[in-house]
Amino acid sequence: MLEFLSDLPRTLWERLRDSLYFLPPFPEQIDSLALFSLLLLLGMLIGEWLQARTGWPKVIGYVLAGTLFGPSLLGWISIETLAKVRPLADAALGLLMLEVGRRLDLGWLLRNPELLRSTSSDIVLSCLLIFLFAFYGVGLSPAWSAATAAITMASAPAVVLLTVEQSRSQGQVTERIILHTAISCAASFVAFTLVLGIVHAEHSRNWINAVIHPLWVGVGSLLVASLAAHLALTIARLLPKGSLAQVFVLVASALLAVGIARMLAVPVFLTLFVMGVVLAVRDERQSLRYTVLPEGHWLLAIILFVVIGAALPWSSFTWMTGLQALGLLAVRAVAKMAALALTGGSLPVKKRLLVGLGIQPLSATTVFMAYELARLYPGIGLSALTLPLFAAAIMELSGPALCWLALRRSGECHDDRPVRGGIA
Amino acid sequence: MTQALGEFRHSDALSLGVELELQLVSRRDFDLTRAATDLLGSLKYDGCFGEIKLEITESMIEISTQPQTTVDAIAADLAGLRDTLRIHAERNNIGICGGGAHAFHRWPDRRICPGERFDVLYQRYGYLAKQFTVFGQHIHIGCSSADDAIWLTQALGVYVPIFIALSASSPFVDGEDTLFQSARLNAVSAFPLSGQCPPLADWADFVRHCEFLQACGIAASIKDLYWDVRPKPEFGTVEIRVCDTPLSIEQAAALTALAQSLSRWLLRTRPPLSTERQVHAARFNKFQACRYGMAAQISDPVACSVRSLGDSTCELLDALEEDARELGCAHWLAALRAVAAGGGDAAWLRARWQEYGNLNDVVRACSDRLLNGAVKHSGKKEKFAQQQPGRQAH
Repeated sequence: MLEFLSDLPRTLWERLRDSLYFLPPFPEQIDSLALFSLLLLLGMLIGEWLQARTGWPKVIGYVLAGTLFGPSLLGWISIETLAKVRPLADAALGLLMLEVGRRLDLGWLLRNPELLRSTSSDIVLSCLLIFLFAFYGVGLSPAWSAATAAITMASAPAVVLLTVEQSRSQGQVTERIILHTAISCAASFVAFTLVLGIVHAEHSRNWINAVIHPLWVGVGSLLVASLAAHLALTIARLLPKGSLAQVFVLVASALLAVGIARMLAVPVFLTLFVMGVVLAVRDERQSLRYTVLPEGHWLLAIILFVVIGAALPWSSFTWMTGLQALGLLAVRAVAKMAALALTGGSLPVKKRLLVGLGIQPLSATTVFMAYELARLYPGIGLSALTLPLFAAAIMELSGPALCWLALRRSGECHDDRPVRGGIA
Repeated sequence: MTQALGEFRHSDALSLGVELELQLVSRRDFDLTRAATDLLGSLKYDGCFGEIKLEITESMIEISTQPQTTVDAIAADLAGLRDTLRIHAERNNIGICGGGAHAFHRWPDRRICPGERFDVLYQRYGYLAKQFTVFGQHIHIGCSSADDAIWLTQALGVYVPIFIALSASSPFVDGEDTLFQSARLNAVSAFPLSGQCPPLADWADFVRHCEFLQACGIAASIKDLYWDVRPKPEFGTVEIRVCDTPLSIEQAAALTALAQSLSRWLLRTRPPLSTERQVHAARFNKFQACRYGMAAQISDPVACSVRSLGDSTCELLDALEEDARELGCAHWLAALRAVAAGGGDAAWLRARWQEYGNLNDVVRACSDRLLNGAVKHSGKKEKFAQQQPGRQAH
């Protein structure tokens, strides 16, 4: 009976084809774009439902959807589908990284030495303690310990920006979470570039790669970013400030940078972050300073987090790696909290600790950096980077909640009451 | 709950005090930002120039000088307060600027400051409290007797349009040019007890009026009266409340000089007041000044005629010259002649808008103008600059 029912559509379709010649053969599987759109809808609904019921960030819902329907669990999103939507995910991450780069306010650091102290301490302590944990605690080689430290030391810019945007929070805790995130990202990217050479040096006798690859990544990102930023500023100066045309120029230049970075095998996240920094530093006439990304970047963000959720290697989960990942997150949390608590500052200790809590997320950049590194030596890389990938997987779900909690506790969210009684 | 009016506390005649409400803006996009509580929380300041206080929303802060006898001393206090704020604001990455209204903020984004008083106001006035995120200069003139204070309150009422036009610095609201020179007072006029002081004969008459308002349940205390000019018994002053916060403390000092010399001239010459007639023209004249500034045509209900506000202002400044010289503030009045002749802060804001083509840059220019002004605080109070932890302002 069941077999009859399941074959019925095919039978009807084939009968129709006898008279309607234009009909294609019966589709054996759902088109990947259609499937992915359905998943986006599901991701959005889960995110909206989660926020409406608990007030938690929608990002968690998107990641949950990706994890649930991805290759590791239900398998509705295949590896091939993930590969097809990778350009979209790159674009989404690129735009968010551009925004974080634009928020890198070095002038504030110069005006507030205590803040310089706390951000430096965060970077140094996080990098050092994570390296020591990976090397001595987990037993990774020096190169992969350094890689683990480089890619997990920073906070998650995409999560932080989206959580701040969603909660519409404003205030010192919010601003410092964003600044710490931007600065630690910059440091993480520098460390990542250096680590590329170290990994080559450990696994290859060809020293040319160890020298040229970091240069290719570092200089390549800088060149692509500078060219795209220069192009954006040159055109933007001809247009009214804050106009739709300027928004278009900003987005188009960013996507151009994404495309060129992909062509040259230069990390997209690094290139767009540098582009954001160049835009902030070189925009003396404030041409693009007040131009904000369009609301549509939320859609791209959903794609990004569904992809990230689907890309997480849950099928390789073991209790040991799970425990090691928790250990890494604990060490990282201690480093960040200690950096904020011990370095003083113009904020009270309680608020500084909230900043420490708000910068705990670990997300897209970690996953993307891990896969960039793993790609170099596929046989070794992926297993060596299981630790940071699992740490990122745990933080994908808990990180947005921690950031949201910090903003909420600081009293800086626009509306502290959760919306109840339905989606959105 | 009603509050007794209390005694009028006598102060030195023509002594001065100034309050300025200032905008707290993000240095990223120059929109208003929620920063007042954090800024005050991190403030290390011994109060030597006066107070720094919260206002109704988190995007505002109020500075108030010490009581002073001269305009120069007021200017020095304002400069000291500005420099104190600048140092702390820079550490917190916050911009500060003058102006009667922010050019493009969204009022629903405003957050009421924590505190029982602010909460009561929000519960009472609802969204009006958030829309009250406008910024004014209040000038206190000391009076040696309660009856003088009531007389001066009535007498100054006639000159409200001049103060409005000279201080006007709020031409933009919600990102639009309102065509007003001062759009701020439209937000104030929504409150039920705003407007002009009713005709009152003396202090006893004022007390009776307040008791009447309390008995009718209209006002619980004098704080509920948002009159354009009102007596302030606890300070022993008359308070002029119609000025927009100017874009610079130099302009704030100049307006203070006008208030002091005008008060001296009024108390010295005691012109007839005709308050019963003035009350009919007050709202019209206020609107004219807000809308047109110095180009306004002001009704004279005594002469039954209409006059240009610019001409009246120039004549008044001529008449006050001697009193200003006696008070040592004549040099401050010179700046007001330039405003009467060529336009003030509202015109400057519109010129910046023409120049930059966007309001973010206009607010940025405002912030630069306030924080990099010419007046320096007095050397004898240098101890503030040493950043010694001390009393926090409340």
